[in-house]
Amino acid sequence: MTEVIRIQEGVLADNDRAAEDLRLRFRESGTCVVNLMSGPGAGKTTLLERTAEALQGRLRLGVAVGDIQTSRDADRIARHGVPVVQINTGDACHLDARMVTPAADHLLPLGLDLLIVENVGNLVCPAEFEIGEDAKVVMLSVTEGADKPAKYPLMFHVSRLMLVSKVDLLPHVDFSMEAAIADARALNPDLQVIALSARTGEGLDPWIDWLLGLRDKARGR
Amino acid sequence: MHEVAVAQQMLEVIRRTLEGRPPVRVRVARLVLGQLTCVDPETLSFAFEVACRGTAAEGCRLEVERVPLRVRCTACGAEEERGDPMAPCERCGDRRGEVVAGRELQLTTLDVEEHGP
Repeated sequence: MTEVIRIQEGVLADNDRAAEDLRLRFRESGTCVVNLMSGPGAGKTTLLERTAEALQGRLRLGVAVGDIQTSRDADRIARHGVPVVQINTGDACHLDARMVTPAADHLLPLGLDLLIVENVGNLVCPAEFEIGEDAKVVMLSVTEGADKPAKYPLMFHVSRLMLVSKVDLLPHVDFSMEAAIADARALNPDLQVIALSARTGEGLDPWIDWLLGLRDKARGR
Repeated sequence: MHEVAVAQQMLEVIRRTLEGRPPVRVRVARLVLGQLTCVDPETLSFAFEVACRGTAAEGCRLEVERVPLRVRCTACGAEEERGDPMAPCERCGDRRGEVVAGRELQLTTLDVEEHGP
């Protein structure tokens, strides 16, 4: 005889619970958390190097870096005197809350104002997994093409800020800023946008101001 | 390619659902999957079949119900399905909208049979 059983919880409920635990811990320790996501090679690590320099003496920054293999990104950021934890995901193409927890164990006792989690380079999977962050930030480099928001709508739907990177290369590539922004805002009308170049420094000030503003808001929560 | 992780979580949800019940075999598992959710149904079906091996859900059928993307237009408030997430509002032509449905990733029901000795 067949019996039908109803199921009450979502498939990602385990992750949502772990993310909620992290959110409470971040709040208790007064740490603002940014989940930085992009495709591979958009320039997340280079931006974090510039960010570490810019924030030196202004607030206590920590970084957790997710990669399938190697600690190259973590090594690069650590050179700037910022506490860094490498999270090797093994075969996973994204970070989830369970993977971020050991990094939080290590970094939160240091009394950070801001923790930036550099997710695995991937415009698909990381969008599905909450990690207890205050804000998701997606980065799109002009060399990837303006069609990415239309091709990966979920990533741009869940993000609060879109960074358009490598704008120093705009004269050399066919990238329509208007099209990229219009597509990204189709399912996310409130999406904020900052265009920047980690190489020339253009747009870095608005990015740093955005981080400081987010941190101030997190303090008031 | 996080379908393997999703399949393992589905199996975990099934395991918890069956906990404390007399032994059963799962014949059908039903999943609702929003259009905007970044999960490929075919890859998920394969990953789920592999994940189920050696469990009470081994050999079960996975029925996937796709939920279309529904958007409420930011400009005129009209609510409509959007096959193409980037398509403009059919009523006023504005492209900006709030997502009303299409993010689902939820197991809804299991068909189970008693697992006799």
